[in-house]
Amino acid sequence: MNIGFTMMNHLKKRLTSLLVTLVALTSATFANAAPVPATGWGLPRDVSVDGHKIDWLINATTFFITILFVIMCIWMAAAVVKHGKDHQAEYDHGDSGHHVAFAMAISAVIFLVVDGNLWFNSTIDVNTTFWNYTEAEKHPEAVRIEINAHQWAWDARYAGPDGKFNTADDIVTLNDIRVPVGVPILFQLASTDVIHSFSLPNLRIKQDAMPGMINRMWTTAKETGEFDIACTQHCGTHHYKMKGLLTILKMDEYKSWSDKMSRIHARGYDPKDQAAKWGWAWKKADTNDDGISVEGKPKSAALAPERSQSVSLAPEARN
Amino acid sequence: MQGVMTPADIEAAQHLQHIHETPKSFVKHYVFSIDHKYIAKQFLWAGLLFLFFGGMLAMLIRWQWAYPGEAVPVVGNLLFPDTQGAITPPTYNTIFTTHGLIMIFFAITPIMIGCFGNFCIPLMIGARDMAFPWLNLLSFWIFALSQALVLASFCVELGSAAAGWTTYPPLASQVGTPGLGQSLMVLALFVTGVSTIMGAINYITTVIRFRAPGMTWFRMPGTVWGLWLTSILNALFVPVLGSAGLMLLFDRHFGTQFFLTGAAGGTGDPILFQHLFWIFGHPEVYILILPIWGFVIDFMSFFARKPAYWFRGSIYAMITVTVLSAVVYGHHMFVTGMSPLLGQAFMLLTLVISVPAEILFLNWLHTIWKGSIRLTVPMLFGLGTIFVFGLGGLTGIYLGTISTDLYLHDTMFVVGHFHLTMASAAFLGSFGALYLWFPKMYGRLMNPFLGKVHFWFSTVGLTLVFGFQMLAGYAGQQRRLYDPFQYSYLEGLQDLNRFTTYCAFALAIGQLAFVYNFFYSLFAGKRASQNPWELGTIEWTDCASPPVHHNFDRIPVVYRGPHEYNHPEVLEKLGRDWIGQTEEFDPAADAATSDEVAATA
Amino acid sequence: MHNVVQLHPQALLEQRRNEQTSAIGMMVALGSWGMMFAALFFMYLGLRAHTLAWPPPGLPALPIALPSLNTVVIGCSSVALVRALRSMREGQRRPASLWMLATFVLGLAFVGLQTLLWWTTWQQGLTPSTGTLGTVFYSLTVLHALHVAAGLAVLAYLLGMTLGGRSMAERVTTLRLCGMFWHFVGGVWAFMFVGMFLL
Ligand code: HEM
Ligand SMILES: [Cu+2]
Ligand SMILES: [Cu+2]
Repeated sequence: MNIGFTMMNHLKKRLTSLLVTLVALTSATFANAAPVPATGWGLPRDVSVDGHKIDWLINATTFFITILFVIMCIWMAAAVVKHGKDHQAEYDHGDSGHHVAFAMAISAVIFLVVDGNLWFNSTIDVNTTFWNYTEAEKHPEAVRIEINAHQWAWDARYAGPDGKFNTADDIVTLNDIRVPVGVPILFQLASTDVIHSFSLPNLRIKQDAMPGMINRMWTTAKETGEFDIACTQHCGTHHYKMKGLLTILKMDEYKSWSDKMSRIHARGYDPKDQAAKWGWAWKKADTNDDGISVEGKPKSAALAPERSQSVSLAPEARN
Repeated sequence: MQGVMTPADIEAAQHLQHIHETPKSFVKHYVFSIDHKYIAKQFLWAGLLFLFFGGMLAMLIRWQWAYPGEAVPVVGNLLFPDTQGAITPPTYNTIFTTHGLIMIFFAITPIMIGCFGNFCIPLMIGARDMAFPWLNLLSFWIFALSQALVLASFCVELGSAAAGWTTYPPLASQVGTPGLGQSLMVLALFVTGVSTIMGAINYITTVIRFRAPGMTWFRMPGTVWGLWLTSILNALFVPVLGSAGLMLLFDRHFGTQFFLTGAAGGTGDPILFQHLFWIFGHPEVYILILPIWGFVIDFMSFFARKPAYWFRGSIYAMITVTVLSAVVYGHHMFVTGMSPLLGQAFMLLTLVISVPAEILFLNWLHTIWKGSIRLTVPMLFGLGTIFVFGLGGLTGIYLGTISTDLYLHDTMFVVGHFHLTMASAAFLGSFGALYLWFPKMYGRLMNPFLGKVHFWFSTVGLTLVFGFQMLAGYAGQQRRLYDPFQYSYLEGLQDLNRFTTYCAFALAIGQLAFVYNFFYSLFAGKRASQNPWELGTIEWTDCASPPVHHNFDRIPVVYRGPHEYNHPEVLEKLGRDWIGQTEEFDPAADAATSDEVAATA
Repeated sequence: MHNVVQLHPQALLEQRRNEQTSAIGMMVALGSWGMMFAALFFMYLGLRAHTLAWPPPGLPALPIALPSLNTVVIGCSSVALVRALRSMREGQRRPASLWMLATFVLGLAFVGLQTLLWWTTWQQGLTPSTGTLGTVFYSLTVLHALHVAAGLAVLAYLLGMTLGGRSMAERVTTLRLCGMFWHFVGGVWAFMFVGMFLL
């Protein structure tokens, strides 16, 4: 009897230390993962106005699942330690009414609290912010950019002062996208060849660029600086090099840059050069909510015919 | 109806399945065998071979992420003589593509479903063989053909497939990925799909028709349930992949344009491929986990020496997941330009899966709680499975939520998530099963010490490798990068990636404990008794180790569920903590329960 | 002649049970097959939904007369196979063989008419690479015709067996399975006829 008690006490101590270790380990892991941009650990620096909503949900998720995971580990460890082979097992099928009710209740509570929370918040964020193009389009100073992805670079097109795409004053850049801080930046994305994904990790958002359809994406920057544009969809041999530069400028800097660029581009504009007209009429916010573009299809099929050369990339490139 | 056992029923069961002669010729016995146990072993060997192959590819990927573009040590010069041992970008693409495909379709599937499906189902439900032994034979040899196609794809000009395991066109088209290799790989997928479906037809029919008298649905072990539900998903969704693969092949070779548009020329629609792929792909991830859940339900009960807690609840949960798995696939396509409404529906459905998952977890934990846990090697692997699957399943929540997935999609976070759920859980679960059933398969015991070494290396290794991969993804590292450090925001992740690679190497080295143990035990292991683990399921109570060719001289009669441990009366009267499903014990009471079960079934 | 009747009751019971087992297996297989065709239809509908006009501008409309005729042909062949199975169960060798022969001939006619259909459309300039219409039309019909051809091969084998005087009782199961497959293939054609040629 006495021995039994001593053992129980011993086990309790071990259990406590196990618990402490686990909690410490878990929190250490997540502390490590907290933003330390300089070292590359944790989320990259957030320079968008709305990115904090995503970060908040990520943290909320981390919070909830850490609790659940720690409970699970402690439960398992405690069972292994306490109810080892010397313990007399209890004969219990666990299917009595109150057992079942208990399991259902726990699951329901977890579902409502954890999943319900995430679903609710995410739905709001998606509808009011991330996929709410209508709101963004309304902003008088919103900047519109068309992106045409191809192996392995990003073409960007700005409408220029006339606000129309495919005209003489368009600004066209390669892997170099400049945007002003503080106003919505609207992207429309297409691809010449394969599927790419236009990702701005520092603004927490990405969207696929597909051949044959036009996708949309928008964001607002809150800080100036230079950041990476990444391709996140495997797109062939040099996928890893498909990197662009996003420069976030103050509004006046942006204005003077864009004015200068459209003057330069107007000077070099050749109306007979069909290949240079890869853009499309800006897709209105309220059309084709399924994202599958009827009108976009023939247009993007006509994207840059000369590109088809660049796509026959492969035999040599794949060595 | 199976529960009411009239003598006529029992007699009829004896005749439904004939006793096949033990084959005398070498070829019929060892090559073109129709014996489910032997076919199981064939699948095991074929799968283990490719598991090794896929594992080596994984090591190459890890090397590349730790030391991008530097010569691979030891084997580099042998594998890549043209570049003095360094991996080039096209080669790298081939490596990660084939790693994924080989592991999923040619390693885990044959081991978990081909081997244990074949071995366990007939033995555990009390059948003499599969319903269609010839189809079973065909299923294996067609699978072998698909493996041959995989190997062939490496030998052609331009090498094997390189468009990622998801094989999205237009990248997977002739323009994006030229060469015969990609086609051979897609063909191999189609062929292996045919084999999988043949297996599924057999498993589904066998369970419906060949359960021994008294083996009601809820007396089937969790293992059989898991494999059966998986077979249903296989039968329904593998053909969808087959169809998509066929159309891709048509596009590649017959000039059609299902998925071709833009520069690839045509007016097709590549996004429809993604729909088809994920209509298959999401069920596929559950195909690879349901048998593991079944194993875990059983292992927890077997070695906690306690009935499986709310067994019916677990089964209902698995059935719910099977159904739900068909309607959540859209969560793989949140950033393809999906309509917000559809996105939210998929998000909700995805999150709903956590309800049955929680029930399963609660039942596993309750099963071992207040048990009498024997930390045998299969039990350790079972507990390890719960651990990694818990981690992986919980991190799925980040991905099922649209707004967080906007950031995490296509990063290493996804890779970590699915390796924990699918790869690690399937790996640990399958090895647990191998340690458990090895004595029944080969009649010899495996060494428990080496088994434990293997367990610790594997569980810790898998957790660290994929945990760190999630951290890398959390910091923004995309998947499938030849050199992640081209990006300035990822420069700081070099140390993390290197350390992960060392962990992966340790994980690989730990597998040697298994390799040695496996071969040693095969030839020189201690002879196994009929029931070395003291379990109550039919294969242990009614079959020798290894079983005779036709399994049972008389088809056994089943009296109770698979998890009767520490029943007080049994303990008192028989002096042991277990009782077999087929053991006659207090026949009156047994008959009563069987009627009761029959009434509810 | 009347082999079935001569079977011992126990053997008869066993044979019934085995037949049922095989039928369940076949049902699962056909469910699987159905999903494969469902995926093809999904592609067809998806591609069609994204195109404003169908047939796409500049492409000929698919003919309707030949497919209608073919629908009748394959429908009749299914009926003939039902009759063949019934005769076989009753142990009547001659009618069974004749009905099977009818099924076979009708099936062959179906493939012939399909070939004629392909020839016509090809003449009109529709090839597998002429846009999505050519793509889905040829892929679906050719895949389907391959299934019909496979069915024909099994039928020919069974016919040979029946004429060759083997015990018909043994063949009942095979013919029943073959019939299930045959009706399934006919059903797929019905879907295709309505979805692709009528609408
Ligand atoms: C339990 C809850 C789970 C949830 C909520 C969940 C959610 C998700 C989501 C949303 C994605 C897409 C992520 C993205 O691409 O951005 C994903 C990917 C994936 N999941 Fe899960 N998952 C769960 C469990 C599982 C299980 C059980 C398995 C396998 C056994 C699994 C295997 C995979 C695989 C293979 C992928 C990635 C495929 C790829 O993109 O290559 N997941 N999961
Ligand atoms: Cu790209
Ligand atoms: Cu999924």
